[in-house]
Amino acid sequence: MKLYLKFDSNIALKKIIQEQFDKLQMEYDYLGFAEIEINDSVSSVEIRKLDECLNNYGIQIVENQKSVLVQKIKDTIIEMVYKEEKLPTSNSAYLSDKLKQRYGYLSSVFTEITYTSIENFILLQKAERAKQLISTNEFTFTEIAYTLNYSSVAHFSNQFKGITGITPSSFQRIIKKRRENSTNLK
Amino acid sequence: MPKEPIHILLADDDEDDRLFFKEAFEEIKINTRVHMVNDGVELMSHLTNEGNPLPNILFLDLNMPRKTGIDCLLEIKRMAHLKDIAIAIYSTSSSENDIENTFVQGANVYIKKPSDFSMLKKILEQVITVNWQYQTSGLNRDNYFLSL
Amino acid sequence: MRINPIFKSAIFLKAIFVLSIFMLFYISSVSYKHTKALNESSELLVHSYKIQFQLERVLSMLKDAETGQRGFIITRNPVFLKPYKSVEDQIYASFIKLKALTIVDQQQQANLDSLLKLIYARLDLMELSLEGIRKKTIDENQLNQNLLAGKSVMDNIRIQINKMEDREISYFNEHQKKYETEVIFSPISTFIFAIFSLLVFILSFIKINTDVSVLKKSNTQLMITNESIKHAEIIGEFYTTQWNLATGELTYSDNLYRLLGCEPQSFKPSIESFLEFVHPDDRIIVQEAEDNTKLFGKTLPHFYRVIRADGELRYFMSMGKFISDDKSRMHIGIGKDITSHHLSNVALEERNHELEQSIKELESFNRVASHDLQEPLRKIQTFISRVIEKDKANLSEQGKEYLTKIESSAHKMRILIDDLLLFSRTNKAEKVFEKTDLNKILDSANQELAHEIEQKNAIIQSVQLPVINVITFQIQQLFVNLIGNALKYSKPGIPPEIKIDCEKLAARDYPDFITDTRKKYLKISISDNGMGFDQQYAEKIFILFHRLHNNTEYVGTGIGLSICKKIAENHNGFIIANGKPGIGAIFTVYLPL
Repeated sequence: MKLYLKFDSNIALKKIIQEQFDKLQMEYDYLGFAEIEINDSVSSVEIRKLDECLNNYGIQIVENQKSVLVQKIKDTIIEMVYKEEKLPTSNSAYLSDKLKQRYGYLSSVFTEITYTSIENFILLQKAERAKQLISTNEFTFTEIAYTLNYSSVAHFSNQFKGITGITPSSFQRIIKKRRENSTNLK
Repeated sequence: MPKEPIHILLADDDEDDRLFFKEAFEEIKINTRVHMVNDGVELMSHLTNEGNPLPNILFLDLNMPRKTGIDCLLEIKRMAHLKDIAIAIYSTSSSENDIENTFVQGANVYIKKPSDFSMLKKILEQVITVNWQYQTSGLNRDNYFLSL
Repeated sequence: MRINPIFKSAIFLKAIFVLSIFMLFYISSVSYKHTKALNESSELLVHSYKIQFQLERVLSMLKDAETGQRGFIITRNPVFLKPYKSVEDQIYASFIKLKALTIVDQQQQANLDSLLKLIYARLDLMELSLEGIRKKTIDENQLNQNLLAGKSVMDNIRIQINKMEDREISYFNEHQKKYETEVIFSPISTFIFAIFSLLVFILSFIKINTDVSVLKKSNTQLMITNESIKHAEIIGEFYTTQWNLATGELTYSDNLYRLLGCEPQSFKPSIESFLEFVHPDDRIIVQEAEDNTKLFGKTLPHFYRVIRADGELRYFMSMGKFISDDKSRMHIGIGKDITSHHLSNVALEERNHELEQSIKELESFNRVASHDLQEPLRKIQTFISRVIEKDKANLSEQGKEYLTKIESSAHKMRILIDDLLLFSRTNKAEKVFEKTDLNKILDSANQELAHEIEQKNAIIQSVQLPVINVITFQIQQLFVNLIGNALKYSKPGIPPEIKIDCEKLAARDYPDFITDTRKKYLKISISDNGMGFDQQYAEKIFILFHRLHNNTEYVGTGIGLSICKKIAENHNGFIIANGKPGIGAIFTVYLPL
């Protein structure tokens, strides 16, 4: 039978970090937003070991400052897209506000490190959220468009198609057929 | 973008298309290592050869002799150690129905071979970028679809 | 009337018949008894009479003797004694008769004996008197005493005789009474039963008569039917067989023989003789059908070849079933020479197959040609773009211009081939019809056109559409093409308003071109407020590559509506266009449900 999962990535992250640190018997302090405080005396070898362990879970220790910032920006954006009931009207204002930096600076650092723009990343995340909402089969396209702060279904479809190349209903169909195929295989 | 080069594998029987592909990646500012095979049979033997590193992304032409792209796709998806490779179908045009069908069969990206070189570069760049996002930013791989 | 069947049933008739027989027996036995009783009565009468006669005779003779004696006593003339002499013998003779007559009656016998004694006593007294007188030994006193004694004996005799006569009379009366009571009842009952029996016989006669005439009628009908069947068999090229399970008798109709190329009834009907005409390879089919008849209770239709007596190969079909009445089970079989039908079927199938092959080849050709044309074309375009990009510096202005024109032509060709490919893919074969929610298809179509819809601020309204059986992608293409057209050909500067309407059509509202009134149709109309078109072109616009505008005004290849028409045809439906220049257009699609 089919099980649908809903998960809180933060809790999952915290748990994994806890397990790994406990395994390596390292002390840490979880500061939130994927920021951890560890003892200054921890060696780079141990940090590498930790990195390897965390890599198994797709978690990486981000090294330099800019990378850290980029990671923060990404996390903020993800939170914005997923956590908020309704997306804010101005992304730049929101980010600038949350991260306490000028939007222009954030934008240039992001592009330098990731080779893509913040806008692009936001669009990508919105598309991801849309995909998540569509695959639950609980919402109409109109509801999804509203949640993601689009003025109309047409606007939403347009952008979705722009990012993914396929229409939302096409996506819905594909997901449905993939599910049917995997249940048939069983 | 990572320091290590992104491994790209292309399977296409057409010499000119392989040329376009290679030249396009040479002009894209992303650090890539491109390997090419000439048909489906070569592809499968390359992938199953343990000595070869697995690609980050595989570009797969549909119309190949000996073994078609779809056959390769299905075979790859059935192998445990290969099924998580991102697969981009790289083909001349198809109907919407067929495109949807390749997604249903497990492809992640569908690229209609463009008739303009700069367009090709743009598309490939976009694919690599998006693919990188899926590999690093924790995006849901089950929902990884891109049609260009 | 439920009584009727009872009356008509054979058992009832038999019962009535038996009852009548009994009644007849009864009547005849009663008559016989009656007659016998009558005879007895008359015999008894005669008997009584005879006895009475004899007794009276005896008395009379005694009286004669007395008279004679009296005469002699008076006259002393021996002439008067003549009767007296013969009296004794005669009386004795009568007595013998009387004894015989009363032999059954003991009492009378006793009476007779007493009477005889009395008579002998009288005679003795008479003899005594006579003797005395003859011998002159008797005096007057003795004579008077004798005569007085004689008189009293005579009285006794009379009394005795009366007694005997009374006895006979009462006996006779008794018998007569009995006879009378018996006889009163009989005539009436006999009469009644006789009448009843008469009625029954009349009714039976009537019934038998009607039954016979009905039977005659059905017989005639049967004969007519038989004749018609015989002719029907000849005309229809079929035969019939009958197999009586009880008697094992097998009958073949005349036409069976004719169809096998023989004279009617030229050989004895049997499965073996029939099988001789069946093609050796197909004999097992016929044998199996025969064996399975007992299994299934009927003969399933089976096909086999037959080699006629003249050597010609024919195709036959046979089947059969059992019919039964209360007495017996009969198997009736029917077979037909289907050679002409079979051959034309085979020919049709072949032609169909050839056609299908042709179509498949054409479609394949279409698809491959279009697809394979695309590849070189694409390469032309790509290489041109490479040249322009890389060697821009080395090219002359004219060179660049020429290349651009080449690119433009190639581009057009590309679009044309794309459309041709799309058209050739819009076929019916191997496409799956599935239950689809038209609303979802409409949503998908709108999403595909999202860019144009947004760009032109179009408003698309639709009523609730039903769920019907269609080829999902094709209907989506239909919607995309029609709505896309409405968007493309909108009035410049005016936001397009597109309305989609839908209704289930009742047969009486069918337009002329719908001839099959058994099917139900769904009518979908897509209307817009765009530029419209002249109604005279309403049919032309569906023709492949036909356009009402040239390429500089509106981009297009003129294939969109042809594809729509093909899609409608794939669903056994229709598409109609209505246009008013400057006002708008309505495209109506009819899809069977």
